[in-house]
Amino acid sequence: MSDHVTDRLALAAAGGLDPAEESRVEAHLAGCASCAKDAAEWRRLAEGLGRLPAPRPSRALLARTMEAVERRFAERSERAWNQAALGFLVAFAWTLAVVSWLILDLVTGELALRLGRPLGTTATWYAAYVAAGWLTAGAAAVLLGRSAREEGRTV
Amino acid sequence: MDPDGDDAARLRRGDTAGLAGLLSRHQDRLFRYLRRLVGDEAVAEDAFQQTWLKVAERIGRYDRSRPFAPWLFAVARNLALDQLRRRQPESLEHVAEPPAPGGPEADPLAHAVARQRGARLADAVAGLAPLDREVLSLRFEEDLGLPELAETLGVPLPTAKARLYRALARLRGRLLAGGPAEEWR
Repeated sequence: MSDHVTDRLALAAAGGLDPAEESRVEAHLAGCASCAKDAAEWRRLAEGLGRLPAPRPSRALLARTMEAVERRFAERSERAWNQAALGFLVAFAWTLAVVSWLILDLVTGELALRLGRPLGTTATWYAAYVAAGWLTAGAAAVLLGRSAREEGRTV
Repeated sequence: MDPDGDDAARLRRGDTAGLAGLLSRHQDRLFRYLRRLVGDEAVAEDAFQQTWLKVAERIGRYDRSRPFAPWLFAVARNLALDQLRRRQPESLEHVAEPPAPGGPEADPLAHAVARQRGARLADAVAGLAPLDREVLSLRFEEDLGLPELAETLGVPLPTAKARLYRALARLRGRLLAGGPAEEWR
């Protein structure tokens, strides 16, 4: 028998041939004992592959996985809350800074009038005030960040 | 009614009950696939957990109009291949050493069952390269058709066919090299 289909038998057993190829292989197998024997071997192999012992995830792994996702969600929601809080505080700080400019201007102007001599320009006072405020806030942010990182490490 | 789609929507809202549903429906298939692909219990467990973390993180990118399983397997595949590349950077087509006796494979019950139901075939599969094990597992254990197989592997259909053929041929070669005329099942 010519035109053996040996090279198509593996894919035939795996269901990987298109219908035309499959018909050609089937027709050949009907008349070729050698290829039919080969085909039976490939089919046995394919069936065996479908029946290999199946590893399954342990209960401990499933529990660990659920816990890990829950922890990730908790961290995500805490991060979102922190970002919202930070946004609010920054907006509040800027509002306060603008309002305090007016108050400072008023206070230093009044004081200078009462003492009868200038206390320096309002702008200098204001710059010192804002710088002190931001330095304090920056130091607090660094300390809070460090503390959060250390808490994260101990969890 | 699409339970996967509903659970994915729940998960997207941050409700971990959605994850519990997805996990219960896909845990066995996913673990089996990862175990075959990476060839090691501990690495498969790590990849399994990382996969679900990634799913929870990226569930917003999942398109509900498409089936969940291929998306899940694609996420798992990328993670597992990254892990494999880190562990054995030479090649994913590299044939692994057989597992050492007393390793994670040494669970007595699993071992006895494996002996009964086709130890020779299981050993031959375990000795294949990761990408060969993967394609055989997807086709014969997960029962994916050729188009789904190609989609999961991220390759064109003819390439998927070629990989399947090559894996089968290598498997048969290993079986024949191990001794003639024994049953493979």
